[in-house]
Amino acid sequence: MIDVTLQLARIVQAMPPVPASEVLHVSGQWWIGFILWCPLISLVLCGLCAACRVKSKLPAWITVFSLAISFVLTLLLAFMDTPPERVELFKWINVHWDGGSFVANFAFYIDSLTILWMSFVTGLGALIALYASEYMEPDVGRGYARFFAGISAFLFAMICLVMGDNLLMLYLGWEGVGFASYWLIGYYYQKPEAVAAAKKAFIVNRIGDLGLALAIYLIWSTFGTIQYNELITVLDAGTYLPVYENWSVQAIPYLLMLAAFGKSAQLPLYVWLPDAMEGPTPVSALIHAATMVTAGVYLIARMYPFFLLAPESLHVVAWVGGLTALLAATIGMAQYDIKRIFAYSTISQLGYMFLGLGVLTTYGAAYHVFTHAFFKAVLFLTCGAIMHGFAGQLDLRKISGLRRMKGWRIVSWTMFIGCLCLAGFPLTSGYFSKDAILAEAFVSQGPGFEVLGWMAIFTAFLTAYYTFRVWCRVCAGEVRCEPGDEHHGDDHDAGTHGGEFHPHAPRFAINIVLLLIAAGALLAAVPYFMGNEVEHVAGGWVADMVHDSTAAEGVPGHPEHPASALHGAEAHHGSILGMDPHVAMYWISACVGGLGLLLAFWLHLWRRQDADRLRSWLLSRFWTRWLPVAMENKWYVDEVYHAFIRAPLWLFGHIFYAIDRYIIDGLFVDGTARLPRLLARCFQPLQNGMLQSYAVTMAGGAVLIALLMLLMLQFFTGGAVS
Amino acid sequence: MSWLLILLPLLGSFVIIVSPGRLAKQLALVTSLVVLGVSVAAAFVFDGWGRGTWELTSSVEWVKEWGLVLQVGADSVSLILVLLTTFLMPLAILGSFNAIKSRTKEYYGWLLGLQAAMTGVFLAQDLVLFYVCFEFTLVPMFFIIAIWGSKNRAHASVKFLIYTFTGSLITLAGFLTLAWSYAQANGGDWSFEISALTNHAVSALSLHEQAWLLLALLIGFGVKVPLFPVHTWLPLAHTEAPTAGSVVLAGVLLKLGTYGLYRFVLPMCPEAVVEWAPFVAILSIIGILYAALICWVQTDVKKLIAYSSVSHLGFCVLGLFALNPMGVEGSILYMINHGLSTGALFFLIGMMYERYHTRDMGELGGLARTMPIWATFMVFFVLASVGLPGLNGFVSEFLCLIATFTAGGSGAYPGVLGPWYAAIAALGMVLAAMYLLIMVGKVVFGPTKATLRHDEQSGLPVDLTVREITVLVPLAVGCIVLGIQPDLIIDNTATAVADTLAVYQDIFEESMPGAAAFVDTSLPGGAR
Repeated sequence: MIDVTLQLARIVQAMPPVPASEVLHVSGQWWIGFILWCPLISLVLCGLCAACRVKSKLPAWITVFSLAISFVLTLLLAFMDTPPERVELFKWINVHWDGGSFVANFAFYIDSLTILWMSFVTGLGALIALYASEYMEPDVGRGYARFFAGISAFLFAMICLVMGDNLLMLYLGWEGVGFASYWLIGYYYQKPEAVAAAKKAFIVNRIGDLGLALAIYLIWSTFGTIQYNELITVLDAGTYLPVYENWSVQAIPYLLMLAAFGKSAQLPLYVWLPDAMEGPTPVSALIHAATMVTAGVYLIARMYPFFLLAPESLHVVAWVGGLTALLAATIGMAQYDIKRIFAYSTISQLGYMFLGLGVLTTYGAAYHVFTHAFFKAVLFLTCGAIMHGFAGQLDLRKISGLRRMKGWRIVSWTMFIGCLCLAGFPLTSGYFSKDAILAEAFVSQGPGFEVLGWMAIFTAFLTAYYTFRVWCRVCAGEVRCEPGDEHHGDDHDAGTHGGEFHPHAPRFAINIVLLLIAAGALLAAVPYFMGNEVEHVAGGWVADMVHDSTAAEGVPGHPEHPASALHGAEAHHGSILGMDPHVAMYWISACVGGLGLLLAFWLHLWRRQDADRLRSWLLSRFWTRWLPVAMENKWYVDEVYHAFIRAPLWLFGHIFYAIDRYIIDGLFVDGTARLPRLLARCFQPLQNGMLQSYAVTMAGGAVLIALLMLLMLQFFTGGAVS
Repeated sequence: MSWLLILLPLLGSFVIIVSPGRLAKQLALVTSLVVLGVSVAAAFVFDGWGRGTWELTSSVEWVKEWGLVLQVGADSVSLILVLLTTFLMPLAILGSFNAIKSRTKEYYGWLLGLQAAMTGVFLAQDLVLFYVCFEFTLVPMFFIIAIWGSKNRAHASVKFLIYTFTGSLITLAGFLTLAWSYAQANGGDWSFEISALTNHAVSALSLHEQAWLLLALLIGFGVKVPLFPVHTWLPLAHTEAPTAGSVVLAGVLLKLGTYGLYRFVLPMCPEAVVEWAPFVAILSIIGILYAALICWVQTDVKKLIAYSSVSHLGFCVLGLFALNPMGVEGSILYMINHGLSTGALFFLIGMMYERYHTRDMGELGGLARTMPIWATFMVFFVLASVGLPGLNGFVSEFLCLIATFTAGGSGAYPGVLGPWYAAIAALGMVLAAMYLLIMVGKVVFGPTKATLRHDEQSGLPVDLTVREITVLVPLAVGCIVLGIQPDLIIDNTATAVADTLAVYQDIFEESMPGAAAFVDTSLPGGAR
């Protein structure tokens, strides 16, 4: 046998060394694992409820309770104020060979970024589950347990994503939330639109996942590890390594970007999110507004050192974010379905977050994620309350004057709070977080960042307009309503009593959750004013949290440049209209926000007929007709994708199938199988019964055999010699 | 004990044939369960876990002068595949209880005969036994398709037999040439012992000769896997075979091909493999994408799953030819995982077919409403097949791809594939999600079709029976366990895989001496 040990000893030299995993303190706190196990237990119990056909609200209470425990444990973790630490749960994929290993365990990596994300993921998760306990009431005994099992599965996956200690654990969460999203979008599985939307969400996300998978391969093959702590140890080592110039390191951010753009619905992969509104509204609030869609921002923040190594990639992030924000806002302006408007608004706000990441303010991006989670959750939940009460009606032309209806006061005023925050009204949470991003667009140096900044300001104007368009139409104005045709689920006839429609107002669970989250949305402005513990960092608690994590803006290999070498020389001398950008932005953003708000009040509350007049005026002019049409049809992006990606692939499928049947199988396989018969036909004439011809054939055969033998002899002796 | 594993099913098969027909299925089930018990006992007795050794060996002399000694034994890889076989077989038998109503004695007899042959392939330590068993798998399968198959069964079974038989004949030619060359080198002493022949092939054959051997083996095993473009027998055979036939075909028979590649091709002709690995990898990648796109336009659910096997097995072969430990481990895991998840999908489609007598996606729809338990299992196994992390399919797919990706000639990890191979193959992940979810969307979800009538004559309730759930639950448990604890297989086979790959490190060391230089200069991890 071959000497194995010698062989393996040689591999040792061939493989790059893996940094020791005991760099960080491995915590022994047993309870941290329960942040993850609680949703899993809840998933199993809800599954059992579904199997046993439980006909009560038990699944909801199980879910709410276990998510609340997760939230409390997260808070406990936050107050412990520990340095980054790892918690090992169990081994997952470990391939060891002499000289190398691939290690991906079920383990947590907990730093301040993790805690920031976890605080709103588990908190909002628990609250929205409480809301859903009432919202999903008509389905008790049918899909109720399935719904809450889905919510638990989502939280489980999201916690894996955020707390995972390595990229593979993140990938598990990444695909897991995609699957939970598939599950919940397709909750009303009898509806073809819901099934199609679920499928689309999963497949488009899979394209992003492909990017993440390739990024993981690339990171592992370059660095020999996919664990955060080991990667950080390498990247923070204080020396700029030549390997950073390799194509492999330079390509990593672009692949991560693909993943982030898929999950966070950015250009060109945003198309799944509006369709995802087919799911129950609590799902839209939790998954498609507050938590899952921010995973892309988390990914880039977590992997920020890789982006700093390839600064051009950040320019791409900024531009994609800015363009998505603008495009989605223009589409949102022209929609009539309020849930879709908020869906496009989510895409637009996520665009802001990516703009923030691109212009080197991870703090701004993270803070906007934080505030957006609250105010967008409120907005979706109020939409849900309306949908619940008006039998699925979501058309803003068909409901009006909600705030004057009995029992709808909390809904309309919490929606007002949400709208204020989203529009960036001065002194609300959205105002501060958006400003942090906008101002930085003028501070950072990059290709066309100035243009990008003004574009973002224009988008802020549009945001204020479309946000209050909804509120003015639905909550203000004369009291009027038409019920929807859907009956909240399958064949349940809520609210229609003898032909006349009575909206049923939300009850305790929905109202209390709306109030709590609206309060959260307002209070999210408080961290901005909290004192900074870290010197040279402004922006309150969130800035501190970001600064202590991998998202800090230090270029690897330049630890002496904490304020980022990429800001350029005149970093803090950038100005807008002669003022310091941060100060100027307070005024500019307040102005554009106010303008948008006024425009909305004018067109949609005070003189609603003007809005229709404007639309018909635009439609009547040849040169402007395309604008409202294209906006209402979402710029035909879905159609373009269908024509240029789906249709060709589908065609290839058919072509390949035809090739498979007729050429590979028909011609080659069956053709070969027919060869003997054909051959036989060729030699048939030889059997003609004439003696002479037999003699000739025999002689010919003998010669042939002799020749063959000669050839074979030569071949074999030749073979033996060589 | 190895002989017991092979002969027990054969014995059971004879007992069934002589005993009354009404006892056939119970006898078959009992036999397969006993064999499962024996294999589990063997796994406990087995001493080779985590080591590369051959255990449970035994040999029977036949004609010693001609080197005909039948030898059996198992290393960790073959024992795992034996366990897969003995695990799937009781399920396949239990799953056929309702579907097979005519000629039951023969059916279960053939099924157990098939099990004996498959186990023999995995346990054989000499080429004669290996080849006999390898060929003998065709006979029971031929009859199972030809007698109990659906409409087009005659054509499918004949094609299956002739196609794979032709492929194996070429492999036989390769084996005989190798044995002849061995006899030449050893003064006329013939031997068919696999390890002796492997050593001979590595040390004595020239690159040219190895390449011919590679070609001969690749044709036989490639047909079996099946690799593009010799895959066309598979969709036909799968579609026409009865449920249990498809399950065994997908679960174990295809693995004979990949096992052959692992056991013979990789160790016997290393230099030729290094030369030709890119070629095989390209065939696998074409297979992955080509079959995936074909899946997309299928209307027959069973055919879709059949083509998806072609696509999935592409990853498995790709992992093998990455020629590094991760890839080979991934490939071994893939063999098991594909057996579990695709086997389960075939069961599910069979269960549906028994109730509705159609597999056309145009006629099916909204089954989640009528058959919630079935639908839950369906979605679960589809996700396992798509490669959702946390379930089994993901681990193997990931390992195969990352191994392919890193197996670049210029990087730190030696190999002859590289990032582009993995990047293109990874598109198969997206396509897999596409065709499987489209199928689920059409069959499981959507409005219930009014035309769809549950067949009352089938003797089955609307949703799954306890028996059917019993068939599916072990598979589901397997999917979850291997999804979160793949170490069960990885750790236990690591040394065996390292032994197999040892010869390649030598080759890479010689051809790419600069491979190690990357480490020292670039990463501070090295200094630390």
